[in-house]
Amino acid sequence: MGAAMEDSFLRFVKFDLQIVALSWLVLAYLIKIYQILRLPHPREVAPRKGSQELGVIYSYASLFFPWSMESTRHHLWRWFEFAIYHLGAGAAILATFTIPFAPSIMTRHIRLAMAVLVAGAFVMGILKLWRRILSPDLRVVSTPDDYFSLAGVEVFFLFTVMALATGSSGWMKAYFITTAAFLFYVPFSKISHYVQWFFARAFFGLRFGRRGILTPKRAES
Amino acid sequence: MNEEKNIIQKAEEELKKRYTRNMAVASSNLCVHCGMCIDQCHYHMATGDPKVSPVAKAEHIRKVMKKEHDWLRRIFPRWVGAGELTEEGLDRWVDAAFRDCTLCQRCIVNCPMGVDTPLVMATARGVLNAIGKSPEILRELADAAISREENMEFFKEFYLEQIKSMEEELQAKVGDPKARIPIEVKGAQILYVPLSGAHTIMPESEIFYHAGASWTISMFEASNYGVFLQDPVRAKRITERIVKEAERLDVEEVVITECGHAYATSRWEAPKWFDRPWKFKVRSILEVMDEYIRLGRVRLDPSRNKGISVTYHDSCNLGRNGGLFEEPRRILRACVKDLREMTPNRRQSICCGGGGGLVALADYDDARLKAGEPKARQIRATGADTVVASCDNCRHQLGQLNEHYKLNVNVVGLAELMVNAIVPKKIPLGTEKTWAVSNGPSLEMSQVSGAQG
Repeated sequence: MGAAMEDSFLRFVKFDLQIVALSWLVLAYLIKIYQILRLPHPREVAPRKGSQELGVIYSYASLFFPWSMESTRHHLWRWFEFAIYHLGAGAAILATFTIPFAPSIMTRHIRLAMAVLVAGAFVMGILKLWRRILSPDLRVVSTPDDYFSLAGVEVFFLFTVMALATGSSGWMKAYFITTAAFLFYVPFSKISHYVQWFFARAFFGLRFGRRGILTPKRAES
Repeated sequence: MNEEKNIIQKAEEELKKRYTRNMAVASSNLCVHCGMCIDQCHYHMATGDPKVSPVAKAEHIRKVMKKEHDWLRRIFPRWVGAGELTEEGLDRWVDAAFRDCTLCQRCIVNCPMGVDTPLVMATARGVLNAIGKSPEILRELADAAISREENMEFFKEFYLEQIKSMEEELQAKVGDPKARIPIEVKGAQILYVPLSGAHTIMPESEIFYHAGASWTISMFEASNYGVFLQDPVRAKRITERIVKEAERLDVEEVVITECGHAYATSRWEAPKWFDRPWKFKVRSILEVMDEYIRLGRVRLDPSRNKGISVTYHDSCNLGRNGGLFEEPRRILRACVKDLREMTPNRRQSICCGGGGGLVALADYDDARLKAGEPKARQIRATGADTVVASCDNCRHQLGQLNEHYKLNVNVVGLAELMVNAIVPKKIPLGTEKTWAVSNGPSLEMSQVSGAQG
């Protein structure tokens, strides 16, 4: 009886709760996107010097080229930290779909590989949090949401690692409950930055691409 | 109290007007406060002060935007860093937007997220201007430019006299009594827009003369202080003078002198302010000079600038904001033998600290000179004895940095250097007498009467 109840609770957090939380997230993002798109957008009309299209491609792709910005070139470690953190985040989010909806692909090896990725992200998150607490430059601009979001994601990562590594019902429940809570909170927090990121990089590429500033030849030496 | 309320209300209304798609994105959660921009700003490089980093400066404005637009603003404003707009806060905006930011754009090209911090700071300038908190001198300079058109009859005679006198100087220099500085020539190919002062007229006139160009000089100056104020009405009025002149004279192109903000404004920003496409194109004098060299319309001999080592300062408005990186370098390679690059350069160039109208703001002199320290270090590291800047503001600032940091360099414009290297067509190459340049080119034309670039 106890086991059956446990299973039904796990099923609830694994499916029903996730679907509700995910639906909320999608709705919130659609609202956010609508709120941006309804605003006026003064377009560049001056004759082109470079390619806007290539500019946009370059702008998105620069994420993968740490050498394209002096900031990432000078702080290469921070770029690796960013990369590992986001790869881990991707794996943790992916697991929320694959565990309930494609359990057959979640072999022991896959689970362990994902757990390692997320564990890496967890370590990077600790470093990020540590830096935010210690650096006067960052402290001066940090909001409670900055600390809470980072800490919240750390909890999410921790439960993801434990759920993936052990597969135990208890950790799974903790993982899915955290995921749902996380999905409900994301639209209110800075974690939702990636919605605006797509717009920002496009705007950047359009403007600087049109002005002929982003072609490799024009990069700094 | 009521007055304060009115100011706040007006500021909020102005913010609403300026709430575009780009601004919504730039002032949202997009900035994750990662801090990657912090040490990319020349103010932070110079002072190490966390309060002058791009993210910290933008946060003053962003917190007010969040108060208006963030989803948690009503329930937990402090949680997301949202805050009320207060008069005290507006005073902080003044420092952040007018003193501690030159709108150089280096932060945006180094932001992994693409946060348009310069847009946020420019918006702050516009709001402050609308409520009368922008620097008075910038408003006066913008109004003076507008009044020049309104009182053209008063200015015209004096201006024509000046041009006549410069024309005589040109004739003496090139040894041709037929050399002209044409004015009000209908159907000319080029309408050349200089700044106030001979230093942006004489070298260019000589270049046009040697290239056999069809040109006419503008009645107006290129600088646009309305842009520094982010005042759309003033900025448009100032540009409109040149647009009307170009259309009246039916020129093919408007060529902007060596002036960073005037070029970026006329070439990239101003077309957005007009509801009709222009019949002429806009280029920088750098593009024209580069074209003359490539087409062989002027002959240059770099040995005429012998004995000097040159480094080029990328003006933020010409380069990062305007797309002119290679043109000045091609010209320089044709004019001098020893060209040394600063590191970093081009898109990653460090601002000299004089942009955004700062050279006109005497109250901020100390902050400006301090902010120029990274540029001074860059120049010193090249070991060059001549710094070329194609922007009048930059030239003015670099001249002061030279003095302040004892760099012992000459600061010159590119046209001056090019003029020095021109081989008159009558003289077979290699047989003429080389001009002596012992410690940089002649500076007689670089005595800046008031920086405007």
